[in-house]
Amino acid sequence: MSLPGATIVSRDWNDVAEGTASTGSMGTSAQGQILHEPLRGWASFSATFLVMFKEEGRKSIEFAKKRQIVLFPLLLTLITALTTVGLQFLVGDSSAQVADIEQKTFTWGELRFALHLPLLMFSLGMGTFAFIGHDAIVHRAGTKNYLLAAPALQPLPNSVAHFAYFIKDLCFYVMLILSPVIAGMALGILLETVNGVNTPLEWSSLPWTWLAMIITLGQGLAVAFLGSSLWMRGRPFTIFGPIAIVVFGVAVGLGEIGLDGVLWGLYVQSNQTPLVAAAALGGCVAIGLVASALIIDDFDVSVVQREEMFVPIYNKLGFLGDGEIRLIVAKEFVDLFRSGSIKKMTVSYAVPLLVLLGMAWLVDFAEAPIPINLLSYAPFLGFFGFNFYSWLTILDSPEFMNGLPLRVPQLIRAKVIVYFLATSWISLIFIVLMAWQLDEWTSLPTSIIVMFANSIYIVALTAFLMGLRPNKAIFDASIMIWFWIGTVLPLLGLFLLSFTQGDVSLYGNWWERASQDGLAATATMYDQSMVEQGYKGMLAISVCLLFASALLWKLMDRRWGKAEFSN
Amino acid sequence: MVESEAPLVMAKDMAKKYGDFIALHPLNVEVHSGEFFGVFGPNGAGKSTFIKLLTGQLRPSKGQIEVLGVDAVRDPQKVKANIGIVPESESPPSFLTPTEFLEFVARLRRVEEIESKVEHWLDWFGLDEKRDTMCKDLSKGQRQKVMLAAAFIHKPKLLFLDEPFANLDPIYQRKCRQWLLDHVKDGGTIFLCSHVLEMAERMCNRMAIINDGRVLAAGTVKGLKQDQNETLEDVFIRLVGRSIEDLESDKASQESEEDSEEE
Repeated sequence: MSLPGATIVSRDWNDVAEGTASTGSMGTSAQGQILHEPLRGWASFSATFLVMFKEEGRKSIEFAKKRQIVLFPLLLTLITALTTVGLQFLVGDSSAQVADIEQKTFTWGELRFALHLPLLMFSLGMGTFAFIGHDAIVHRAGTKNYLLAAPALQPLPNSVAHFAYFIKDLCFYVMLILSPVIAGMALGILLETVNGVNTPLEWSSLPWTWLAMIITLGQGLAVAFLGSSLWMRGRPFTIFGPIAIVVFGVAVGLGEIGLDGVLWGLYVQSNQTPLVAAAALGGCVAIGLVASALIIDDFDVSVVQREEMFVPIYNKLGFLGDGEIRLIVAKEFVDLFRSGSIKKMTVSYAVPLLVLLGMAWLVDFAEAPIPINLLSYAPFLGFFGFNFYSWLTILDSPEFMNGLPLRVPQLIRAKVIVYFLATSWISLIFIVLMAWQLDEWTSLPTSIIVMFANSIYIVALTAFLMGLRPNKAIFDASIMIWFWIGTVLPLLGLFLLSFTQGDVSLYGNWWERASQDGLAATATMYDQSMVEQGYKGMLAISVCLLFASALLWKLMDRRWGKAEFSN
Repeated sequence: MVESEAPLVMAKDMAKKYGDFIALHPLNVEVHSGEFFGVFGPNGAGKSTFIKLLTGQLRPSKGQIEVLGVDAVRDPQKVKANIGIVPESESPPSFLTPTEFLEFVARLRRVEEIESKVEHWLDWFGLDEKRDTMCKDLSKGQRQKVMLAAAFIHKPKLLFLDEPFANLDPIYQRKCRQWLLDHVKDGGTIFLCSHVLEMAERMCNRMAIINDGRVLAAGTVKGLKQDQNETLEDVFIRLVGRSIEDLESDKASQESEEDSEEE
């Protein structure tokens, strides 16, 4: 219909040609209004960055109290100070050691590697900004909204918002994690002068260590950012991306690609050349820029009709009984499938395992300096549980449950069950394939027990300590202390005990050196009884972990029973 | 309004489809300077999709869109820089205060004298006491006020409002209504989406009723009424009700066709 003034008329879908290409000006005008150009480049970045930084600080403080936020870096400083003092027992070329460097000890190079690799893994896990941005856009009409979703309404390019987010996260981690670590190293060196404690670390290496760690962190964040940006662009990246990562990981594991090319920070720390450091840092920022340029201004929140999924899933969960947990688990699985997260999560869970499998296929680990065997992988798998559980908690806002006759512990338990059901088959396939590859069938039953005990325990502990907000608990010192004690100690115990199935001269050397400092009596040597004790020890720890999981399961009501649904 | 004036907003065959679901059938629309144009319809009619397409928040599946002489498909940033948008359900960033959010928006929109403008709108919306409270701790109505202030702060001539008063109390509904009417008198243009028909009678000089992603009728408020006694609600139910009956009869005939094919 046509009207004087405003006109509006509908047509049938099939009467209109496909496409949105412009055929020149349509004839509208600004009626004399001077049009502004939107802010671009540095101007829009700086306007966004500072506010985002403030937002991040508040987000972290919301979960932990201010005091805990301050305590977290202090805790890191303390742990690093103690580690710095303990370095004398680990390094192979320090004055505190025996002269026989043929014995198995760690070199500085190995220790640097041990510093940079976990840092890279951590930053790879935290840097999937394209996914985070997409979630912020999708959930912007929910109860919480973030600046990362601002481009939907404001004249701010999505790419600039994402780049600001990347730089903001990098700064935040440098401030709250890396700088306290360096402060801890400094404290360790200071203790040397005060108490006569020995540490082989020197003042001059601290600035380079700090810079090198920033580069590794930046590299991990930037690479994960790039990966997530490419993934968001769909095929062919979603197919070839994971394959490329597996091939790359295996090539690195085999030594086909040098570690210097993979861990830029390690290279910088080893060479200490300002130009190389600047290039590496510039490279991280450049990857971040490319990743953000790949983000498109797409604010579509799909409105797609789907077939009923809830009841079919619910019907398959009969083994959970007829209670509320079964209902919630079914709902969580619907979220997992409909959000498309199941693909991302499965790929990110399976890719590192495929890399390990590929390496095992091509390398004889018996030749490795540390006697890694099938039982070493089992506790290692448990660590993936934290990330997977964290993702499960941000799939959907649970606040609607406040109006339903449900309680937070039920939702937490449901998420733990979903984690177990969604990942256990991957872990099981991996450990069986690994047993086949390493030809360690006799260790398989024990490995399966250790693996499941760990997986269940880590997720139960994460869920118990952090509830529905694990991402926000990361800077809460009181929680992280318990998490550290609760995970690192038993898992390290299992990991070290697993080496009793191989060459144990490494322990022997440690004990020998420790005894020279008057801390222990005799060196322990490799024999059959130690293999048996190791086996028993691992089984005993696993059984304890299962009991601990059951206890945490029970205690969930006490800790979270009165909490409200919020993530 | 001058008939010969070029429109401020124009869309040709603009449509949106999600998979097999057509959220908005192709439509042509023109809005001219000085108009208060309202699009009304039941929940899920396609009103928000309509406004999001015109403001560059969504890419159309078909068609072209131009706003203030700018291609909204090719350069949505420039469109956003020169209009004001009040979304239906979006809140300001949870962890910023109203002051910080308005400062951020003003900076992005190159507003001059930011501090005084922010002060003015905080005061205008009665948010003085909440100026340093994080937005997540504000009530729904207060968050809506912050979103309105963010849309008004750069004084755009063209405003797109999606259910703008949904959470406001009657006092601020009246205050905002009057401000918007004054804005149009001063040469501004407003494009509004709502299901609250009272707004059409009080504010709009032209309106359209849509349902199921199609325009059912358009014209002046008076022009849509069949007689003097008919209320706008009657018009709405007459049009939308009939539209729903049409849909149901279409569905029934489709089902009977499928049944006969099976036989």
